[in-house]
This record gives sequence, structure tokens and C-alpha cells, in this order.
Amino acid sequence: MTIIILLLIPLVACGLSTAMRTRQWMEGIHVASAAASLFAAMLLAAEVLRQGPVSGINGFLYADHLSALVALLTAFVYLACAPYAVGYLRRDQALLFLAPSDDDMAALAKQRMYYSLTPLFVFCMFLVVVSNNLGVMWIAIEGTTLASIFLVTFYGRPTSLEAAWKYAMIGGVGLSMALFGTVLTYYSAHLVLGGDSVSALNWSVLVQQASHFDKPVMRLAFILILLGYGTKAGLAPMHTWKPDAYCEAPVPVAALMATAVLNCAIYGLARFYVLTVRCLGTAFASNLLILFGLLSVAVAVPFILVQRSSRRLLAYSSIDNGGIMVLGLGFGGALGALAMLLHMTYHSVTKPLLFLSVGNIQQHTGNDSLRKGARGLLHVLPISAPMFLLGALAVTGTPPFSMFQSEFMVLRAGFTGQHVGVSVLLIICLVIIFGGFFHHVAQLVLGPPSGAPREVMSRWKTYPVIGLAMLVIGMGFLMPAPLYQLIDGAARVLAVQQ
Amino acid sequence: MHFWQDVQFGNRMITLMAAVVLVLQIMMVTQRWLITNIRAFALQSFLMACIATTIAYYNNAPHIYAAAVLMLLVKVILLPVLFERLVTRIDILQEIEPLVNAPISVIVAGLLTLLAYVVAESFHRPDEPMGPASLGHNTLAVAIALFLIGFFMMVNRRKALTQVLALLSLENGIFLAAISLTYGMPMIVEIGIFFDVLVGAMVLAILVYRIRETFDSMDVSRLSRLKG
Repeated sequence: MTIIILLLIPLVACGLSTAMRTRQWMEGIHVASAAASLFAAMLLAAEVLRQGPVSGINGFLYADHLSALVALLTAFVYLACAPYAVGYLRRDQALLFLAPSDDDMAALAKQRMYYSLTPLFVFCMFLVVVSNNLGVMWIAIEGTTLASIFLVTFYGRPTSLEAAWKYAMIGGVGLSMALFGTVLTYYSAHLVLGGDSVSALNWSVLVQQASHFDKPVMRLAFILILLGYGTKAGLAPMHTWKPDAYCEAPVPVAALMATAVLNCAIYGLARFYVLTVRCLGTAFASNLLILFGLLSVAVAVPFILVQRSSRRLLAYSSIDNGGIMVLGLGFGGALGALAMLLHMTYHSVTKPLLFLSVGNIQQHTGNDSLRKGARGLLHVLPISAPMFLLGALAVTGTPPFSMFQSEFMVLRAGFTGQHVGVSVLLIICLVIIFGGFFHHVAQLVLGPPSGAPREVMSRWKTYPVIGLAMLVIGMGFLMPAPLYQLIDGAARVLAVQQ
Repeated sequence: MHFWQDVQFGNRMITLMAAVVLVLQIMMVTQRWLITNIRAFALQSFLMACIATTIAYYNNAPHIYAAAVLMLLVKVILLPVLFERLVTRIDILQEIEPLVNAPISVIVAGLLTLLAYVVAESFHRPDEPMGPASLGHNTLAVAIALFLIGFFMMVNRRKALTQVLALLSLENGIFLAAISLTYGMPMIVEIGIFFDVLVGAMVLAILVYRIRETFDSMDVSRLSRLKG
């Protein structure tokens, strides 16, 4: 029952927002739906913790610890971005980004588009994690692309069309590969399961029979799935759409794409990983994951070093972190799965902080350049600028922040799994990324005052940043026990013995 | 017993249609007239619907008939009509020179077909008895070839609309694989996928139109301002 409510909340919010006539109502519905989603996701997590996997509508929906965790993270990012979006769009309207001159109706139409497409986007992400059927999961992942294309073109600049085009085409090819992989998985399974009932693509059914699947078919299927969902997660070399899309979408949407969509894509990959490991043993799938994971981290290094735009810097950081998650999954064992899920959780808290504070900086200075932009933002933006510095330290894995723990754990999984060379390369890349990141951010934030006027920020835009920063600091020292239980349960789903 | 009730006959028909589908795909690689490309795509989708109907007939599988009807409505009628109207409205009839010229494109397409047969070979089960259940398994190679050639077309072509057509013909390959290997995935999945293809193509068509308005051309290679 909770699952259905979780799905209905954003859907209802989408419908209501399209019908509303005034901006205040749309904003209210948006924030309320985000809060309600987080509450429903928490209820779902509590239910899963209490009684194990839950299912709904004749096994069509299914949520175990892994689904509940990813749903919780999605809802969390949604809630962090919702109040921020209100302030952000109001400021955009004041800056005349939404409509030329004083055309209030056009600006309202733009905001209606935002407030109805974003909940739809979130609905698709919820559907990804709670659908039992792997085909429906594919549809939902494709749905996230479709729902967000017009959010990427939101500002209607020539560059946003270019970004949306890349996003649509690369995403389209990637997802068609994933569909081919899903078809082949079904083929390799239906030789065993027989019949053409709907349940033959249900993950909970497949996972019990996976050891009897047709092995050559499953091998090809996993390669296609990895390429497909890897494109959606932005793993190298299929990552090229990512910086463009993140830089052109409105900041709250970019934050959702960088964390929640990344989580969903990796979730899809992880579900197939479990099936593949049960069918073929760990070596095949793990080696592929390690290859793509390491490549993603390595590709991010040069682009972070020479980066000129702070939004693109964050995109490459998200490619790098996606790579680390995939590496954790690839290193395998209970430790690797746990490390990956911890990293996912910490990343989902830290990355929105970075995006939201960059959004504040960008709206104030008028550009997201790291080179020609203002120096010494600390004096101009006394809240957002230091929070950006804090987030940058956290996301590069500086102790005592929590992402240090998870990256350390990924490395430990690597060393215990006899992947010494890969782990050493990973350490080198992480150190260089830290250096590059810190260089850029310190230049932007610290330094002598530029004399620019101090910004009076609306509370909508500062409170989410402060709240996230407190969470980032808090999570470094304290992990709530139920959340840890949830992560641990999810790791058990992934850490399968063949 | 009529001759069309024989499974062997059905198998031959499917092989024949799959061959025509492959030829159409290779034709689309070289064709520069957008209208011809759209019609070739429509014909290819029509043959897909025929293959699905044949398989449905021999297996008495009503849900594959449904898939065939959906194919007919969406990819044979709706999308081609939409695209043709788009082409006449924005008044661009010909593709500009692709990255790789036509003769070499055909050779690449041929090599990709060869590769597809090599990949499909590993799935071949010579001991499988001939019957309705194994109908169309030999078209897997064609399905993979469609997929690979569609991929090549997407890289090779520079007009936005041809890229969309390439993506859709690549999805035809997946449809063929799904229909011939597994007799269509469970119905709910098929409907969802068609819905997605439809919505996706509409989104892309709108984007194509907007790109045309902004850049005054559908040449995708001009979309190169975002770097790094």
C-alpha cells in the first residue's frame, strides 16, 4: 500500500500543477509533494526493515532493502531541491530569464512546465525502483529521459537545444541497448521458465532461477545492459552528454539528475549484476564493471584539472563518483557492495549541496565561469560560498567527511579482492581530482574582496543550502541506526554467492 | 492441409521478409532523399508487422497480433506521416554529404552484417526441432545487423531527422529480436515500449523543429558549441 502511495504523490502533484492558475499554488503543491514523498519513502523503508520485501498489485511492484534505499535517496534529493527551486525560479523571473520583459503569462507558463515536469520526472524514478518487472523498469528509466528533455531545454538558448539533442540521442541509443539486453535476459530465462506469463520478467522470480539461465545469451545481455544503463549513469566513454545537460538544465533539475538519476541507473545495473553473477559467476561481470568504473574515474581527471565552468566541474565529479560506485560493485563481496551503497548515500547528500550553492553563486555573478568570474566570493556570498567550499572538500573525500569513509571502504574492498593495481590507480586519480577541485574552488571562494555588492539572498535559496551542509557535517560523525540497517540489508541483496 | 499451414512455409516467408528488411536498411544507409528514407522506414516497419503476424498465426498467440497492430499504427502510419509533414514544412529534402561516402558506407554495412552473423552463430542450436516454437530464430542475425547498421547510420548522418530515423530503425532490430526469439515479451512491456517510442519520437520531432528554428538548419554537426 505504501508503495502505491509513494508513486501516486508525485503523479498527483504533476496533475495538480498543470491545472493551477497561480504561481503560489504551484509552489505550495511542489514543496508539499516533496515533503510527502520523503515521508512515504521513510514509511516504505520502515516497512521493509520490519517485515522484509514488500510487494503490491499481484507482485507487479516489489520493494526490498535496495529499492527502499534508492527511493529514500530520491525523495530526499527531491525535498532538498523543492524549496530551493521556488527561490531559484522567482529569481530567474526577476532576472527575466523565463520570459522577455514583463510578460507574466509566459513566465507563469514556464514555471508551470517546471512544476509539472519535475514531479513527473521523480515519479519515473520512483517507478524505476519499485517495479518488479525488468521491462517496466526499462520503461521507467526511458521515462526519466523523456520527462527531463524539456527541462534541459528550459531556458531555450541555442546551447540548451544542443545539450538536449545530445542527451536525447546518446540516451536513446544507450537505452535501446539496455532494451536489447533486457530482451536477451528474457530469452535466456524463458528457456528455463517457459511460458509467456507476465511474471517471467519479474526480478524476484528471475533471481531464484538465474543459475539455470542460458550462459552465452546472458553474457551478451549483460554487456548490452552495462553499455545501456552505463550511458544513463554517465560512465565513460558514454558520458559526453552529461556536462552539457547539467550545465543547461535549471540547477535543481541538474542536482536531481546528478544524484537521483545516477542512483537509478546504477540501481538498474546492480539488479542485472545480481542475475549475471548468479548465472556466470563473479569474474565476468566484475571485470567489466571494474574496467568501466576505472575508465570513468580516469576520464574525469583531465577534465577536472582544466575545467573552466563550475557546473561542468560538478558534472565531471559526478562521472567520477559514478565510476567509484561501479568500482565498488565490481570489487564485489559483501564489503564492495556495502561500500558502493554507502558511497551512493553520501554522494546523494553531498552533491545537491554543491549544485545548490553553485546555483546561488551563478545567479549572483551571472555566469558559472571559474576563470573570468569574480574572486573572493566569500565576501560577497557569506553563506553560499563557504558552503560550496565545504561541499567541495566533502565530495573529494577529505576526512572527516563521510565520503572519505566510503571511498576508503571501496579501496579496502579492492585490496581484499586482489585488485591491487586498480586500487592504486584509483588512489592516484582521487588525489589528482582532489587537487584540481580544491584549486578551482579555492580560487573562486577565497581571495581578496572584489568590491561587488553583498547579495541579499531569499530564504528559499539559503535554508536548503544550510540544511544540507549541516547534514553533510553530521553524517561524517553519525549514521542513524535504521539507515545503516537499510544500507546493510541492501548490500545483502547485492552481495550474492553464486 | 493447405500449403500455408505448413511451418516450413512460414519459416521461408519469415526469412524472405527478414531479408527484404535488411536490404531496406542498407538502402537507407546510402539514400540521401529524406522522403525516400522515411518511406523505406515505413515499409521496413510494415514488413516487421507482417513477420509478427506470421509468427502469431503459427503459434496462435493473440498478444503478438496486438504487437503487430501497434507496430502498424505507430511506426507504419503515425510516425511516417508526422515526419513527412515535418519535412515538407521545414523544406529540407536532401541529406548533406555524410561523413563516410556512399560506397564505403555500403561496405561498412556489409561488414556489420557479417559481424552480426558471427555473433548470432553462438546462439545457434542445430539440435532444435523444427516447429512453431522455433519459428524465426534464424532472423536473430538480421536483428543484430539492423541494430548495428542503425548505430552506424546515427554516427554517419548529420541531419537531425535522419538520426531519428536511424534510431527508430535500430529499435526495429530490437523488435525483431524480441518477436522472433521470445515471441514478444510480456504484453505490458510491449505496450509500454511502443508508448515510449511514440512519445520519444514526438519529443525528438519537436526538438528537430526547434533546432531548425534556432540554427536555420537541421545539420547536427553545427551543434558543437559545448566543449570540455
